This record gives sequence, structure tokens and C-alpha cells, in this order.
Amino acid sequence: MLDAIKNVKIHLIVLILVAASEAIGILKFKVGPGMLVLLPMLYAVFIGTFLGPKFLKVVKDKDMGHASALVSLTLMLLMARYGTLVGPKFFEILKAGPALVLQEFGNLGTLLIGIPIAMFLGLKREAVGAAHSIAREPNVALIGDIYGLDSAEGRGVMGVYICGTVFGTIFFGLAASFLSILNVFHPYALAMASGVGSASMMTATVGSLSAIYPEMADKIQAFGVASNTLSGLDGVYMSMLIALPLSNKLYNFLYRLKFGKPVEA
Amino acid sequence: MNKILESTIVLLIVAAITLVGNRIGWGFGIAEALPGMAVLLGICILGILANTYVYKLPTVLYVITFGMVVTMPGVPGSETFAAWVSKVNFLALTTPILAYAGVGIGKDLPALKQTGWRIVVVSLFVMAGTYVGSAAIAHVVLKSLGEI
Repeated sequence: MLDAIKNVKIHLIVLILVAASEAIGILKFKVGPGMLVLLPMLYAVFIGTFLGPKFLKVVKDKDMGHASALVSLTLMLLMARYGTLVGPKFFEILKAGPALVLQEFGNLGTLLIGIPIAMFLGLKREAVGAAHSIAREPNVALIGDIYGLDSAEGRGVMGVYICGTVFGTIFFGLAASFLSILNVFHPYALAMASGVGSASMMTATVGSLSAIYPEMADKIQAFGVASNTLSGLDGVYMSMLIALPLSNKLYNFLYRLKFGKPVEA
Repeated sequence: MNKILESTIVLLIVAAITLVGNRIGWGFGIAEALPGMAVLLGICILGILANTYVYKLPTVLYVITFGMVVTMPGVPGSETFAAWVSKVNFLALTTPILAYAGVGIGKDLPALKQTGWRIVVVSLFVMAGTYVGSAAIAHVVLKSLGEI
């Protein structure tokens, strides 16, 4: 860790990436019924990727190792901010009713569908990191804490995290529009489900829904924000206490089914 | 002790970088955002201390809980803390993380290439699974409560 801290070059590169990305700011494009929103963090990860030896040769293998070693610590400040998003609304959320709390269990649908598909596609321990949750910041931090982000689980969670960052906003914006066309779920239910722990995904969903149902916009937004705030808090407990153990059990079960022998330790 | 000191130094560096991004992207002056950033830093350090000395729970859990407690209505100073941290934009905190992650990704590019397309497919199912699962439950519960 100490070598990584002393690597001034890395910190300067990050500073430049941050300054440039924030200077570009948020870009929005209309795509069909949805909205494509590009956030500064996307430019930062995108440009960062191209600095390696394969492309621009600005950073060496040693520097890349140092940068990854620092990621899980850099997440902590954001986690603190998450807590402060929940705090002020704590009592409102308590009152917001059982629907808000119970819909969180829908997140378990993620692993029940995700782990079998990931393993069918040939992923191993990556499957647990990738599909135990929707892989937003608290989940990345949790996997980093337990397995380390250099592990197979870490690669899985980072992969889904990055895909979610790249496609998530457009995916959720469009999914909300399409599901509302099908008319199966009430707009309030679609709003509550948008709280998956990512502010940008929630914003995209709530944005599309408010445009489609302007007369319900106030309540749609309130439900979206409350649900997202709640996920920011209980999402991490849920992942640690239920989703991750369940993912490991499902993984071990499917592994035995697929390879006819238990997972080697 | 060494580990805690090292973590603190890293957090200080990231905080400084975030303050610059927060100024450029969101227009909050560095001096204006400083108290909020100091609160967030303090919460992180307390979380690391709790993980080291109190009980070995994931640091994330401590950090989120502490952040919630200090801004909860009724807790002394909560309104002040909430007002301070509101000057540190939520998205401004995400950019440095992704910059470090982006610089580090190059190392894993060969591995990512190998699992790459599969991870993309898994991601789509993961997002759809979460969204449809949650919407279905919310719909049923709202209906049984008579809200819709």
C-alpha cells in the first residue's frame, strides 16, 4: 500500500482525469422514448483505460497495480456520503410503508437469475461477484472488503459495476418506458423498483416515468428517492447477510450439478 | 496503526482531488465544501478504527451507519452536518473512484477480454432481474395495501 501512496504520478493522473471529466460535465441525449445520460465518471474510467501500455503507454504495469490497490479505499468517502443521504430522511422512510421495504427482496431475483446464467456462460467464482447483487458502489465495497478486488469475485463485481455504469442509465430509462407500455405494473411500483442503489439509474427511471405520467410525477419521484435511499442503507446489510451467502450456496450447488464434484477449497 | 495512517493519507489525497472536481463540475468552492469533506473524512476514519479495534465488521457497514447517525433528525448537530455535506456533490465523489479504477483496469484487460462479453450478458440479466423482481413485489404489496 505504501508504494501506491508514494506513486505521485498516479494521483496527478487521477487529478487531471477528474478535472477534465468534470469540465465536460453531464451530457444528455434523447434516444427513442428514453434518455441517454453520460456522467463525468464515465469519461474518467474510459480515458483511464486507454492510458495503459497497450494504448497510450502513459502508465506502466506497476502504476496500474498501484491504482487498483487504492480503489476500495477511495470508495469509503462515497459510502460516508451515502449514509448522510439516508440520515435526514430516516423517519420519513420508516413511515413510507411495508411496500418500500418488501420490494427490496426483489433484488434477490438478481442472484436467482444471474448466478445460473453466469455459470451457464462458463464463469466460475466471477459469477458470485457479478450476480449476487446489481453491483453498485456498496456491493463493490463489500466484495472488495471480503475477497479483495483483485480476486475472481472482484473481477466479476467490477465487470457488472462498469457495465451498469455504462449501460445502466439507458437500460433503466428504457426498461421503465417499455414496462409502462406493457401496463402490467402500476407506475408507483415501477418507481419504487427504481431504487437499486444507483442515483443515476434511479434518476433515469423516475425521469422517464414522470414524463409518461405527469399527473403522478410528484409521488413517483418521492417513491424513487425514498426507495433508493433505503437501498443505500439496507442494500449493504441485505447483500452481506442474505444475498452473498445465498449466492455462495447456489454457486456450490450448481457447481456440483455441472461438474459432478464439489467445489475444491 | 501503520495501516490506519496509510488509509488516512489515501483518503486525504482522494478528498483533495474530489474538492477540485466538486469545484469544476458542481460550482461548490473548495473552502465552502471543506467542512462537509472533513465530516466525511472523519466518518471514514472512525469506520476504519471501529473495524480495527471494536469488531471486525466490513468497514463499509460502519461508514454508512455513522454517516446516517450523524445526519439523523434529533441527533445533536445533525442539521449542520447535513448542510455541510450537501456542499460535496454526490456524483463528484464517484469520478475519482472511477479514475483510479480506470487507470487500474489496463492490468486486467486480458482477463476482462476473456470474460468481457459474458459479463455484459450477465449484467443485462442482473439489471432486468432486479428491476422486474422489485416492481412485481412492490405492485403486489401496494395492491394488497389498497394504495393502487
